[in-house]
Parts: sequence; structure tokens; C-alpha cells
Amino acid sequence: MTMRELLRSRMAIILIFLIPTLFYILISLTTPHRMIPFKLPSVSGEPVIEISMRYESLVFIGLAAVGFIVAFLAMNLIQKQTEANRRLILCGYWPMELIISKLAVLLCVIVLISLFVAAMLSLFFRPERFLMVVMAFALGGFVYGCYGLLIGALCKRELEGMLFIVLLTQIDVGWLQNPTFYADAQHTSIIRYLPAFYPSQMSMVTAFTAYSIMNSLIGSLLYGSAFMIISILIFRWKMGTRKQRIFL
Amino acid sequence: MAASTKPILKVQDIVKSFGRRSVLNGVSLLMRRGELSAIVGENGAGKSTLLKILVGLTVADSGNVTTNGRVGYCPQDSLVFETLTVKENFHYFASAYGLERNKEDGGDWKKEKDVWLEYFKFKQYENALVSTLSGGTKQKLNLSLALLHAPDMLILDEPFAGFDWETYLHFWELTEGLRSAGKSILIVSHFIYDREKFDRIYELKDGVIECA
Repeated sequence: MTMRELLRSRMAIILIFLIPTLFYILISLTTPHRMIPFKLPSVSGEPVIEISMRYESLVFIGLAAVGFIVAFLAMNLIQKQTEANRRLILCGYWPMELIISKLAVLLCVIVLISLFVAAMLSLFFRPERFLMVVMAFALGGFVYGCYGLLIGALCKRELEGMLFIVLLTQIDVGWLQNPTFYADAQHTSIIRYLPAFYPSQMSMVTAFTAYSIMNSLIGSLLYGSAFMIISILIFRWKMGTRKQRIFL
Repeated sequence: MAASTKPILKVQDIVKSFGRRSVLNGVSLLMRRGELSAIVGENGAGKSTLLKILVGLTVADSGNVTTNGRVGYCPQDSLVFETLTVKENFHYFASAYGLERNKEDGGDWKKEKDVWLEYFKFKQYENALVSTLSGGTKQKLNLSLALLHAPDMLILDEPFAGFDWETYLHFWELTEGLRSAGKSILIVSHFIYDREKFDRIYELKDGVIECA
């Protein structure tokens, strides 16, 4: 039912496909092919690689698009119809049943969007390890999807939630994680602790090199799982009902 | 049908405060099978708080609520899924009630669904999205969902809102039918017309309940 609800938002479905397409077109029209060097801080030894600025920007914007879209959808998934969901729980559903159904929908959304965005990317250039790029995008979606769940569970009103999502996604996945910014940034340890650091690193490493992604993989999973566990606890607490005792 | 002596809902000394503001001060009431009761009170008297405690949406500071059967709850606002169709809402709630898993317990929910669609005369909207329905039709769906699992007791919060006159009269036929089948009904409302239809009317004032 949760998936049906999502699929009925036709405009949202259109935007899911339109936003990455627009992002890619704008990058390919405006970014030059100049070669730029940048560091890969998640790889041991922090090697410096040199690649086309346009390709680097395409990978970066692809991950940003996945992060933005999934965060908003996840927030919507958990924030909408809270009272109706609570009524379902009063009627007999376990809160975990509802949570699992929402997580299943989120997972489908992440896979679908990551595949689409990575497929679009391959129209512009051939990434070094395509399937790993899909995985990196999916992990970006996972981290930001779980952040969206957390915001949806915390904020009652949609506007507050949207602002919280814009706040972090803009700063993190939309700006600070760009390797060209990171190259000259001060206090890079701050950037390393932000949620999109590992997925962003993983997307760059897999798109342009054959280096190991183990650090990025573990970091992304840990970050996303932490967001997910906190959001589940808050949702479970908010959905809590008290069953009456039966007497004879 | 006269109410039996068997209790179905027992509320004992419910106390609830929000910060320093005391809302309910030792509310107690008893409902028996087949009984039709109402709780009335002015705005802010604590009706909604009491109702939320009765159905389990809010926890009381102290006191007990005990029930002896299945409870159907019809909230004031139509708490249904707007982006699903009427039929899908029935399916979702049937699944929540466990009617899909346990057919002996709840019977065939599709038959029950058809009964209520016919009874409240909105079968033509079965495949319509809830967001496209009028307020009155949403309220019919709201009530039908509370009745889907054949509850022993029905708790209704301002059930008449959005009803037209015909549906209002139909509603009283329904309550008579339910009572004859030994079901109990508790209505919470600002105003109660047709007071003679009720076995008991409780008045909630300043956090204290009195049987009027």
C-alpha cells in the first residue's frame, strides 16, 4: 500500500527522473574538460589523481541528485499520514510492520534511482567500475534516505523537515564533499565527519580508479544504519499505543 | 434491547494532567453489553483526552481502563489514507485487524466491506481515491472501517459531523441493530440530540464525570 501511495504522486515520479537529467545536462553544458588534480582521502596513502573536471563534476552531481531526492522521499514516507498510521496500529498492526514496509519501499526507491542516475552518467563517460558506482550512489541514497527518515520522524510539519533536509544536503553532499573544494579546504576533519563523505569518496574512487572501497563501504553503512536506528526508535515511540487489559 | 449486566468497559479513577493543568480528576464509568451511552461536555472539558485514554492513544497518569471484547474506534477526523482508494483502505484495515490471516475470527472481510458499502450507500465510490470524496462520504468510510472487524464495542468521536439527514437517520437504525446484537456504543460529542435513545449520558465538567 505504501508503494501504491508513492506511485500515485505522478509529479513526484516525473521529478525523480527530471532532476538528475537536468543536473547532468547543466554540468555537461557548463563544466570544461580541463584536467584537475584531487586527493582521495578515504584511500590509504591519500593518493592524488588527475581527471577531467567535467567527469568529476558529473559523478559529484549524480550523487548529490540521489541524496537530495531520496532524502525528500524518505521524509515524505514517514511524515505523511502519521495519524492514519497510528490508527492502523490501534487496529492491530505492530509498529515494526509499518516500519519494515516503509524501509522496503525506501530500499526499492534507492535501487531504482541509483540505477537510473548511474545509467545516465554512463551516457557522458564510461566509469572505471560501473556497478560499484551504482553501489556508491545507492549508499549515498541509503545515508541520506535514513537522514530523511530521521527528519520525518522528528519534525511534525513538512516545511521544517524540508528546511532541515535542504540545510544538510546543500552543505554536505551539494558542496563540501566536492573533491575540488576539499583539495583546498581548511579543517578537512570536519568534512570527513559529515554523512556524505564516505559515499562521495566511494563514487569518486569507483568511477576513476581501482583502489579499495572498504573504508567507504563500512563508513557509509555505519552512518546510514545509525540514522536508521535512531529514526526507527523515534517512529516507534511516536506510534506507541497502550493496549487495554482484558478482564473477565 | 435492554443492556445486559455483563460489563464491557470499566474505567476507574482516571487522572490526567498536562503540566500543571489538570484535565481529568478521577473519572470512572462502566458500560455494559448492549448499552448505548454518551459522554458530553463543553469544549476543553477533557472529552478528547478521555477518549484517547479509552482507545489507548494516550496514557493516563493513574487509573485503569479495562475492556472485555474487541473495540472499534471511529475518530472525529477521517483518519484514512487519502491517496488510496476506498477499497484499498478496506484492504489495509482488514489486514491490520488480522482478518486476512484469521478468517474464522473475522469472517470474509470482502463480504463485510460490501455490507458496509451498501449500508451507507457509497458502493459507487469503491474504486475512487479517498482524496476525491466529499467530507460526508469520508465519514462513512471512517465509520465503516471501525465496523469492519465486527467489534463488541464501538467508540465514536463526534460521529455525526458531515452526515446528511438521511445518513443521520440511517445511523440510528444502525445503532439499534448493533444493540440488538449485544454490541455497545459509546458516543462522545458536544451536543446530544435524541437523548431518549441513550441508556446513559455522562457529563464531563471540570475534569469530573457525572451521569446525567
